[in-house]
Amino acid sequence: MSLEPFHHSAALSLGVELELQLVNTNDYDLAPYAEDMLRLMAKTPLPGSVVPEMTSSMIEISTGVCHSSSEVLGQLSQIRDALVKSADKLNIAVVGGGTHPFQMWHERRIYDKPRFRELSELYGYLSKQFTIFGQHVHVGCPDADTALLMLHRMSRYIPHFIALSASSPYVQGQDTAFDSARLNSVFAFPLSGRAPFALTWDEFSAYFDKMTRTGVVKSMKDFYWDIRPKPEYGTIEIRVFDTPLTVERAAALAGYVQSLAAWFLREQPFMPAEDDYLVYTYNRFQACRFGLEAVYVDPATGEHMALRDHILATLQRLEPHAEAVNAGAALHLLRASAEQGSNDARWLREQQSQERLLAEVIRRAALKFRDR
Amino acid sequence: MNEIMAIWAEWIRPSAGLPTVQWSILLAIAAACGHLLQRYTGLPKVVGYSAVGALAGLAGFSGTAWPLQGISLFLLELGISVVLFEAGGRIPLRWFRYNPMVLMQSLAESALAFAAAYWVLRWFEVPAAVAEPLALVAMVASPAVLTRVVMDTHASGPVTERAIVLSTLSTLYALTLGSAKAGLMDRPLHQLSDTVYPVAVVLGISVVVGAVLALALRSALRVMSPTSENTSMLLLALIAAGTALAAHFGGSAPLAALLGGMLLKQLNPRPWTWPRQLGTAASILIMLMFVLVSTVAAQADWSKSVAGLVATLVLARALAKIVGVALANPGSGASWRQALWTGCAMAPMSSIALLLVSQFVLASPSLGRMIARIALPTILLMEVLGAVVATYALYRAGESSKPLEPLGSATGDRRES
Repeated sequence: MSLEPFHHSAALSLGVELELQLVNTNDYDLAPYAEDMLRLMAKTPLPGSVVPEMTSSMIEISTGVCHSSSEVLGQLSQIRDALVKSADKLNIAVVGGGTHPFQMWHERRIYDKPRFRELSELYGYLSKQFTIFGQHVHVGCPDADTALLMLHRMSRYIPHFIALSASSPYVQGQDTAFDSARLNSVFAFPLSGRAPFALTWDEFSAYFDKMTRTGVVKSMKDFYWDIRPKPEYGTIEIRVFDTPLTVERAAALAGYVQSLAAWFLREQPFMPAEDDYLVYTYNRFQACRFGLEAVYVDPATGEHMALRDHILATLQRLEPHAEAVNAGAALHLLRASAEQGSNDARWLREQQSQERLLAEVIRRAALKFRDR
Repeated sequence: MNEIMAIWAEWIRPSAGLPTVQWSILLAIAAACGHLLQRYTGLPKVVGYSAVGALAGLAGFSGTAWPLQGISLFLLELGISVVLFEAGGRIPLRWFRYNPMVLMQSLAESALAFAAAYWVLRWFEVPAAVAEPLALVAMVASPAVLTRVVMDTHASGPVTERAIVLSTLSTLYALTLGSAKAGLMDRPLHQLSDTVYPVAVVLGISVVVGAVLALALRSALRVMSPTSENTSMLLLALIAAGTALAAHFGGSAPLAALLGGMLLKQLNPRPWTWPRQLGTAASILIMLMFVLVSTVAAQADWSKSVAGLVATLVLARALAKIVGVALANPGSGASWRQALWTGCAMAPMSSIALLLVSQFVLASPSLGRMIARIALPTILLMEVLGAVVATYALYRAGESSKPLEPLGSATGDRRES
C-alpha cells in the first residue's frame, strides 16, 4: 500500500482530539460506559465528533477544523457541556488527565470494534495498558514538504508540550515520580518515538514504501510517533500531550502549537538537523520526569538550561505571532502556569497530599472538567 | 438428624454451646461449597452458600427458631443493614434530578410486581389478607444477592449499576410498606389515618436513626480516613448499634441503614471505599445471612399445589419487573437490551423478603402461617435461581469481566479467584 497524497488544508488551521476518562460516581474507578455515552451523544448536534477508543471506559472527542484557539475552546466547551449532560444522565463522570490514577489495567475491556480487536490480538496486554489519555493537535500545512519541515522544527518543542500538559503522575495507585507517566506506556509500542529525518515528501514516501515492503506497517495509523504527518487531513499531528484537566488548557496548548507554526512559516527561524535528535530522547525524558522543573538541552548549542526558562523565552518570542493568530489569551494562560511552575500533574499531587485518597482526587478532577 | 444432634449433645459440651458449634461447621461447609461451586461451574459463591443452607434446612437442621427472634433475627438484620447501608450509599439523589426516568422505572417495576403477584395469588384463590402482604414481599429484589453476584463476576457497567439501584429502591418501598403492614395486621381499620400512622412511625423512626448514623459517620470522616481499617470497624459498630436501636423504637433496622447510607452520600460526596475495606468480617456476616435464609426457608411445607402457585408467582413477578423497567425505559439513557437484562438481574429474593415474612408471622401468627407457606418456598427458590439468573443477565449484558464458565478453564489459574 503506497502513501496517500498529502491533501490540501488551510495553513495554520487547527483540529484537536481529546481522549477522556469515564468514571463511576461511587468509587470513581473507570466505568465501561463508552457505548452508552456514544448513544446519548449521537442525539445532540455538535461540531466535530465523538468516537470510541481502545477500551470501553474511554471516549475520544474532536473538534472540526478551527482557525483559532478561541474557536477550539468554543467547540470543546460545547462538546464538554453535552458530555457532562449525558454523563449526569448515566450517573457517571467525565474526567481529563493522562492516566486514571488507580485503575487496574487487567480489569479493562477492549471496545468491540474490529480494529481494536486486531490491535488487542497483536499487542496483548499492552493494548489494555494503553488505557491512557492524550490530546492530539493537528495543525494545517500548506504543502507536504512544509509539513515535514514543520514536523522536525516542532520536535525541538516536544519537551515544552510534555511539561505544560503533564497530568499523569499516578499509575496503578502509585506516584510514579513522573509528571507524565503516560508516555512511558506509549514507548512500549514498537513504532513509537520520533519520526525518521526526512525533509521532503519524496524521501518520506520512499521510507514509507520500504516499511510497507517489510510488512511491519500497512498504513500511517501503525506509526505511534510523537509527531506524525497526517496526509489525509493535510496536517501534522502532535501526540505527546497528556489530556489536560480542563478544555481551557487543551485549547491553550493548541494555541501554542499554532503560534509556533505561525513563527516557523513566517520567519523560517532555523533549519532542523538530524543532530537535533541527539538530545531528543534525553529532553523528552526530562520533561516527562520533572515537568516544568526539567533541564532542557538546546539541540543547536548543547546549552543546558531550565526548561521553564526556555518555555518563557519561547512564549515571549511568539507574542507577535500569537497576536496574529488570535492566541494571545492562550499563551497568557500558559505563561502564568510556567511562571508559577504549576501544571495539572502538580495540581493532582496537591489534591492527593490534602486528601490522601486518589478517588477523591478524581472526583475533584471531574468537577474541574465540568468547569466548577 | 435429630438423633445425631442428641448423641452429639450428650458426647460433647462445648463452652459456647452446641448451636455455636453447629453453626460454625455449617458455615465452614458453606464457605467450602461456595468456593468449589464457583471453581467448577462458574456460578457465584452465593449459590453454594444458599444450597448448603437449603440442604441443611431440608435435612431438618433447626439451628434457628421460626419466626426469627433473638440473636438470629439480630444477625440477619445486621447483615441486611450492612448491605443496605452500602447500597444506599450508591444512590446519589441528584441522579433522579438529571434522569427522572430511572425513578419512574423503579416505581413502575415495583408497582407492577405488587400488582402481578396480587393478581396471581387471588387467581389461585388466596385470601386478600394473605395476598396483599405476599405481594409486598414480591416487590423486593435483593441487593444483597446482586452485590455478591457482581463481586463474584467482577461486573461493572450500566446494567449492573441500574439493577443495584432499582433493587435498593424496591427494598426501600417494600420495607416501608411491609413494616407498616405488619403493624396493621389483625387490627381493624376505621379511617385513613389508621393506615398512614404506622407508615409514618416506621419511616419517621427509621429516618431519625438513619440520620443519626449518617451524622455520626460524617463527623468521624472529618478526622478519620475512609481507607482506614478503624473507620470500617467504626462503621460496622455504628450500624450494629443502629440496628438494635431502630428495631427497639419501632422502626425498621434495615430501612434505617438504607436511609443512613443515602443520607451520608448526600452529606459526604467523597468516594466510598468501605466495601473493599470491610473485608472478611462483613463477608462472613453476609454468608451467614444467606445460609440462615435458606435454612429457614427450606423448612417450609412443600406440596404440589404450593409448588404450582410458587412457580406462577415467580414467573409473574419476573415478567412484571422486566415490563416495569421497560415501560419507563424510553428517555432513561438505556437501550432496550439493557432494560431487559436489568429486569432479569433483579430476579433474586432473599434476606429482606424473609425478614418481612418473619415480621408478618410475628404480627399475626394465623395469617403469618399462610403467608409463610407460600413465601418461604418462593424465597428459597429465588435465592438460588435468582442468583443464577442475575449472573446470566450480567454476562449477557456484557458487563461481567469473567467468562461464564468454570474458573481456571479460561485463565489457566485454578487457585482462588
